[in-house]
Amino acid sequence: MSMTPAPEPAIRVANVSKRYGDRRVLDDVSLELAPGRRLGLIGPAASGKSVLLKLICGLEPATTGAIELLGTSVVGKHESELGEVRKRVGMLFQNYALFDFLTVAGNVCFPLEQRGGLEPASLAERVANRLRAVGLAGSEHKLTGELSGGMKKRVGIARATVADAELVIYDEPTAGLDPVTTQKIYDLLAADQQRTGATVLAVSSDVSALAHFVDEIAFLYRGTIRYRGPAATIADAPDPLVRQFVRGELEGPLDERGGDDVR
Amino acid sequence: MMFGEPIASIGAGARRVAQEVGGIVVMTGQVLRALVPPKLDTRELWKNLYKMGNKSVAIVVLTAAFAGGLMTLQTGPFVKKLGATSLAGWAAGYAVLREIGPILIALMFSGRVGANNTAELATMTVTEQLDGLRALAIDPVRFLIVPRVLAMIVMLVALTVIGDLVALLGASVVGHFMLHIDWSTMYFSFADNLRPTDFLHGVYKSFAFGGAIAVASCYFGVTVRGGAVGVGRAVNAAVVASAVSIMLLDFFITYLSA
Repeated sequence: MSMTPAPEPAIRVANVSKRYGDRRVLDDVSLELAPGRRLGLIGPAASGKSVLLKLICGLEPATTGAIELLGTSVVGKHESELGEVRKRVGMLFQNYALFDFLTVAGNVCFPLEQRGGLEPASLAERVANRLRAVGLAGSEHKLTGELSGGMKKRVGIARATVADAELVIYDEPTAGLDPVTTQKIYDLLAADQQRTGATVLAVSSDVSALAHFVDEIAFLYRGTIRYRGPAATIADAPDPLVRQFVRGELEGPLDERGGDDVR
Repeated sequence: MMFGEPIASIGAGARRVAQEVGGIVVMTGQVLRALVPPKLDTRELWKNLYKMGNKSVAIVVLTAAFAGGLMTLQTGPFVKKLGATSLAGWAAGYAVLREIGPILIALMFSGRVGANNTAELATMTVTEQLDGLRALAIDPVRFLIVPRVLAMIVMLVALTVIGDLVALLGASVVGHFMLHIDWSTMYFSFADNLRPTDFLHGVYKSFAFGGAIAVASCYFGVTVRGGAVGVGRAVNAAVVASAVSIMLLDFFITYLSA
């Protein structure tokens, strides 16, 4: 009987640590994500979630360890060597990272323009469709400075998803959005993922909404992956820290600072 | 122990300066590397040429006109006293073309364009726009820095040339109306005594000053740390570094060409 080899992971993080001076942000983190899967990353504030996303994209260098993104090692690579793999990735930044020298349409169009190969009419149509999908139809010509936080977030989502990337990384995709828009955005992201088959890694503080979107959730705590399990049962995770965090309970091993009472 | 702290403080300061100088040298290397092969975003280049050059003309014209006039005011009474009015234009023109023009215009340019450039890049850095570019496989050096560096060099040279002409005009106007020197005397004083090398000397300097302002303003913009406070510090550091670079370059270029 012939065995089909397991597909190469879309993301492979092996024993990665990150320090800023004396401050340890990530400590021996290992993580794999198979192609086409959706993984949520949760954890208390300043637990290193956004830093881990930046390391995965090669935007920050890891102090130690190995990282592979869509089969390409990103550690120790020069910017010019990462260009090809980054073209296959869409990323939403926590603070939007919208280009303030471009309009809303210019921002959403930017990844497509850089990849090339589309006629101006197709570009415009694709941008208009994407903006309609995130509820921003008619905002094409606005400057990003004229938008509210929630609108900026949606422009960021449109930009991250417009090119149908193989891997999409979302850093707080629904922060600052109302519950109805949050649900609409997650429905849109899920529909996109089903259409493109993209691999998704999403960081969010809205655990209940995230749990409906992703297959699995990993809990990052004090720079290490403390737990990883099915999203559907995250609220009943065996780890009391995870349970307390997900349920938002005041009593438990997590203290007010997001620390741990039990040392 | 008494001298421990001051020495440590001097050492830390020297280390910081060395780090900044090293960073600026590295950025210069990155810009030169990005120019080979020359693959420019022409839209960004034209945008910066317009923003940095066209919008600086008024302030340069004003500065140059007064600088030229001032040189005549300073030297005019002496040349008149010595009966050497035919040298009035030369005295003002020589100082303006070789020194005052390039330096004053570069300092104005640094304060207006360099500081603005640092603030813009620093804001883009703290709002993760540079990371956003990198995540989209765009090299920020090639896309943002190189067009700005080229635009600043080209425009400072162009503004210096304009400024030189305006300064000579300002010198003539002051000579005529305040010191009662004939227009023709001023004209022949320029034409007979100033050489093309005097003009080119200032142009070389403005080329070097433009490069220094551009690289320093971009470097402090992209290496900013912190939020609004960091942006303010970066602008401050860029203006100081540009002014120091202008003075150092001026000294060495003058020394080497003497």
